[in-house]
Amino acid sequence: MSALTPVSEKEDVVVTVANPVARAARERRHAVPGWWAVPGVALALALIYVPTALGSFYAFTDWKGIGGWHWVGISNFKAVFDDKELLGSLKNTVILALGFLVLTNVLGLLLALALNRNLKTRYLLRTLVFMPVVLAPIAVSYVWSFIFAFNGPLNQALGSVGLDSWQKDWLADPTWAKVCVLVVMVWQNTGFVMVIYLAGLAGVPIELEEAGALDGAGRWGRFWHIVLPTIRPATGIATTLMLIQGLRVFDQIMALTGGGPAGATQTLATEIYQQTIVFGKYGFGAALALLLSVMILVLSGVQQLATRERNKTGA
Amino acid sequence: MLKSTWRRLGAFSVLPLVGASLAACGSDSGSGSDSQTITFAYQIANPNAKSVYATLAADYEKTHKGVTIKTNPIALNTYGSTITTQLQAGNGPDVFFINAGGGQAGSVGTLGDAGKLLDLDGKIADGSVPDNAKASMSFDGKIVAVPIYLAPAGIIFSPMAAEKSGFTIDSSTTMDDVIAQCQKVADGGQAVFGLAGSMAPNTGIFTAEVAASTVYGPEPDWNAKKAAGDTSFADSDGWRTALETVKDLYDSKCFQDGAAGAGFDALTNGMGQGQMLGFAAPGGAAKDIMDSTKGAVTLTVQAMPAPAGFDTYLMAGTPDAIAGNAASKHKDLALDFISWMSQPEQTKKAADAAGDIPVGTTSGSGLLPQYAGVADLITNDKIAQYPYLDWPNGEVYNALGTGVTGLLTGQMSVDDVLASLDKAWG
Repeated sequence: MSALTPVSEKEDVVVTVANPVARAARERRHAVPGWWAVPGVALALALIYVPTALGSFYAFTDWKGIGGWHWVGISNFKAVFDDKELLGSLKNTVILALGFLVLTNVLGLLLALALNRNLKTRYLLRTLVFMPVVLAPIAVSYVWSFIFAFNGPLNQALGSVGLDSWQKDWLADPTWAKVCVLVVMVWQNTGFVMVIYLAGLAGVPIELEEAGALDGAGRWGRFWHIVLPTIRPATGIATTLMLIQGLRVFDQIMALTGGGPAGATQTLATEIYQQTIVFGKYGFGAALALLLSVMILVLSGVQQLATRERNKTGA
Repeated sequence: MLKSTWRRLGAFSVLPLVGASLAACGSDSGSGSDSQTITFAYQIANPNAKSVYATLAADYEKTHKGVTIKTNPIALNTYGSTITTQLQAGNGPDVFFINAGGGQAGSVGTLGDAGKLLDLDGKIADGSVPDNAKASMSFDGKIVAVPIYLAPAGIIFSPMAAEKSGFTIDSSTTMDDVIAQCQKVADGGQAVFGLAGSMAPNTGIFTAEVAASTVYGPEPDWNAKKAAGDTSFADSDGWRTALETVKDLYDSKCFQDGAAGAGFDALTNGMGQGQMLGFAAPGGAAKDIMDSTKGAVTLTVQAMPAPAGFDTYLMAGTPDAIAGNAASKHKDLALDFISWMSQPEQTKKAADAAGDIPVGTTSGSGLLPQYAGVADLITNDKIAQYPYLDWPNGEVYNALGTGVTGLLTGQMSVDDVLASLDKAWG
């Protein structure tokens, strides 16, 4: 289930730990004074955090992108929670993000386990699975929109195998449209998650697995008690990244459904675009953007806490 | 050592600032470097097609020696936000395309409210702003934009495709006549109408064209009444009929299969393959398509037939206009250019180039050939303005478009759509 850790690397680790003098020398060699970070931090502040803070300010105004503005307090946020359609967008955001998080991680882990070793064609298969990651999401989504079209290949394929009753207008069905969006998101990102898990699996000591096998642990037992705890750092990274990506999904929805039918696939990200760029409600759009940012921060924080707690338990 | 390093760092960090300051001093904020140069921005849908605005700018340069007009075509989907940002930043163009009314980003209402538009009162040709367009071209009682053509919106119809199924339509055809022919056309593998059901602008314009006959033809001041609180979408029999008509068409298989989830590509593919007989769009689209096929395809523009009990009106109005930048450094030249564009000779040229009708046209004669089917409606003044020009925001038109999609997919009832329109109006 895992690859061997290179022996030379292990030896290097042993030497480092066993020789504090060498470690101190290396630390001195690589020591970087803290002030060298100042320009980078200043740039990050100037280009990311200050504009973000200024943008957040407009969330409390009625600015239309031009001319003056009025301070409206939290009324933009109240409007979000009073609007049935916007609440639906919030719900869609959470559903898509959670579905995306679970599916990409389950499929990515399964693929990583399957393509980790013992398979001659594993390098080719890894490349094939990873390939969609390098494609532009908007282009991929347009291709999928042709596949899901009423006269598209999916319905044609169903018809050709006698499943005419399964044919439907996929993107015009409020439920199936969400499924279609999720399918495209998962299809394109599973390869990325697989790579993260492959990196994690490379660190699972084979000796532990062999010891587990000798003690009578089966495949599932070795996976649950040895592999999974060992790759928890990879799980933490993969789930955090997929959660964030799922919460801010935009391209796939715009290309596949445009938020439709009748708002059934609108998310916070697409609402931000619509309210700001289409309707010119920059203040309201900023409020939605701030809400999405806070959501990402909170959920990512919760997820990180959950992973950290498990690490402690697993240690 | 630390001090010298800080000094070096300080010098490095100051250099870009100095450079930026010098660059700012040297820039001319996009308004041209001398009094005979102005900038002109407009939106384009097809970057490969020559815009009518580029044609006008070139003609003005030819007839006004020494004048240079720097044109700046901007993609249609980002035009509103781009022009808004430029004007807000103080580097907007001297003259620019503007959406009439207050319903969209970068329209007369929003830019006028921000004080960004030149006052055109008394500076443009008499009659260049029709009476029914004055509200959508004005802010605070002053004319601030001028239309350069009248854009009819109807069914872009392919007589060649219709011949195959024997479908007929003219200005006397009612919607019941159309519905009666839909099944026969569908049986022949075609659809009477193409609809991009997932695209709110397409479902919106289709329904607005029906509403031209059911609402705005018989009651041209309906928007004013709504604004005054004297009526509502929910109370409007005309709007109810318009929505019910679209649903009836859908149920009667008048649209192509899968219309509710279709995008614009379904229209181009369907029309290209002769699987659709027509689709709702501004009339200029007929010329664009015919030009792109180099005359291989002949299209006509037909008015959207009226439902039973209503007379057919052609939706025709002035959604596209030109305005001047109130902060322009070359106001006189900008005003002269706008005034020149508002003259009948230029509006005729612009209308022909855009495949539309000159502003102020009251007779069906002299129109482009594709408008032969609506000539009598124009002569008889059976014309209704674009409804959304007087709507207070873009959300109403979006609610109409998405509401119709919801109607087709069964997510919404007619009452739901009417209620959402009232809510979006505010």
